[in-house]
Amino acid sequence: MAWRNLGRNRTRTALAVLGIVIGVIAIASLGMAGVALEQQATSSLGSLTDQAIVSPGEDIDTDGLTETQVETIRDVAPATTVIPQKTNRTELSARNGEKANVQVTGLENPAPLYDIAVGDAPTRLETGTLISESTARTLGLEIGDPIEYDGQLFRIRGLIASDSGFGPDSGGELVLPLSAFNEQDYYNSVTIIAEDGPAATDAANAIEAHFNEDDDEVLSVTTYASVQENITSFTDTLELALLGIGSISLFVASVAILNVMLMSTIERRGEIGVLRAVGVRRGEVLRMILIEAAFLGVVGGIVGAAGSLAVGCVIFHLLANDPALALAWSSSRYLLYGFTFALVASVLSGIYPAWKAANESPVDALRGS
Amino acid sequence: MSVIRLDGVVKRYETGVETIEALKDVNFYADRGEMVVVTGPSGSGKSTMLNMIGLLDIPTEGEIYLAGRDVSDFGEDERTEERRSQLGFVFQNFHLLPMLTAEENVELPSMWDTDVDRRERAVDLLERVGLGERLTHTPDELSGGQQQRVAIARSLINEPDILLADEPTGNLDQDTGATVLDEITRLKREENIAVVSITHDEQLVEYADRVVRIVDGVVQ
Repeated sequence: MAWRNLGRNRTRTALAVLGIVIGVIAIASLGMAGVALEQQATSSLGSLTDQAIVSPGEDIDTDGLTETQVETIRDVAPATTVIPQKTNRTELSARNGEKANVQVTGLENPAPLYDIAVGDAPTRLETGTLISESTARTLGLEIGDPIEYDGQLFRIRGLIASDSGFGPDSGGELVLPLSAFNEQDYYNSVTIIAEDGPAATDAANAIEAHFNEDDDEVLSVTTYASVQENITSFTDTLELALLGIGSISLFVASVAILNVMLMSTIERRGEIGVLRAVGVRRGEVLRMILIEAAFLGVVGGIVGAAGSLAVGCVIFHLLANDPALALAWSSSRYLLYGFTFALVASVLSGIYPAWKAANESPVDALRGS
Repeated sequence: MSVIRLDGVVKRYETGVETIEALKDVNFYADRGEMVVVTGPSGSGKSTMLNMIGLLDIPTEGEIYLAGRDVSDFGEDERTEERRSQLGFVFQNFHLLPMLTAEENVELPSMWDTDVDRRERAVDLLERVGLGERLTHTPDELSGGQQQRVAIARSLINEPDILLADEPTGNLDQDTGATVLDEITRLKREENIAVVSITHDEQLVEYADRVVRIVDGVVQ
């Protein structure tokens, strides 16, 4: 019955449904866009989130971290991989005349820290070197070629993949065994790799608590977990803002439904009067019109959710290169939200017209027709 | 006992500046099996009177008895229940729902009742008014006379005691009006119901068992 009533003015019904569809698409796809952005930002940070970087603080007495301090860090942060590093900068020049300014890092265990594109990354680096793929290309170097640093020759064992994300050391890089830095007594930094973000934060806190007192900063500890938190809180805010914009469009859509239902009840005033005259109860008239409004919401919601899914697939394809991620619960729940909003908004905006139609005196309604 | 009785009914309307007395101390009754036709010029109060009899409106003063019960003080919902169970309505403009078939229109008053199946009675009534072949037609596929006969079938679906007709032949030509009135007369006898009809149509008066004339809110 409700269905056939809606069928009577197809254009008007279609326009009302279109309004809801747009509202649902706005809510759901903006929500999904927020999720996609967050996932993209998180994956750019990548494995950095489970790391903590310890560097000399303002109040350290030495020029860097001592061997003893590194050992203490190992004790304070158990169950983590502790990788002390010595760093320097140097200019490499090749036979082809090209030059490259690179950061030189001396460490023992490069495997957890570097993505190797070609060659291997040993867990104990005692001979040989790793170099950034891009730098190697510039200098015309290949695996097995020698590189001279500080009077010693090192053969290239692996090429470091260029890091697409943001993090430290994304420029040209040369990784050497610690033995190359024999004349340097102190470590410039220590990277701590924990199991996950929270564990990294715990380790960082433990280290700070152990070495630093009040204003005395011996060691400075940076974690990316806090960066991750910032990103998450930023994208949460962004998501909320996007949802807000979406809600406005759904609000507009529900005003459209209000208008459609009001028009259609005014148009059918006489008919509703007849219904009331032949003994149809007020509650039954109310229900009939609410069901019509709910129908608009359900149809608009389903079409809108389908449309949002398509939009979501496009967004995820563009941002994360994987359209199927749109189906994951974290983003597909916005389809459910959009649909629910559509249904609730339609029923809410159906209430007034329904109430008005149901409570009009049958005499007035009949006379008016 | 009269199935419907109006006792000293007064109806006043406030129209901002003045008070209009549409009905002035009206006494009226109708019995089962009789057709009472109320005539009068326009504005005489006959529509107001039909609204009183049909429990669509409440009197300012006086009492209305439906099957001996005082229903004058009934609220909207109670009156709806009485209309649902005791009364049938036929209107000048038929007032069928355009998107429903003839059969669905007849079932309309009981469409919300899940416990009673009126389908059989709806088909039976449509057959009795000669529309057995038109069950699935929508109103725009039916002539005026056929539409009014559907409306008559609809008014009887709830097995009412009283059939109220507001200018039932007003939109029909003479011949069609006559067949519709024959139909009403026959059903009145078969169902043993009271028929109250208001009209200016002299043709209708010929079918009346009793004529009540009302002028300026006063029954003559």
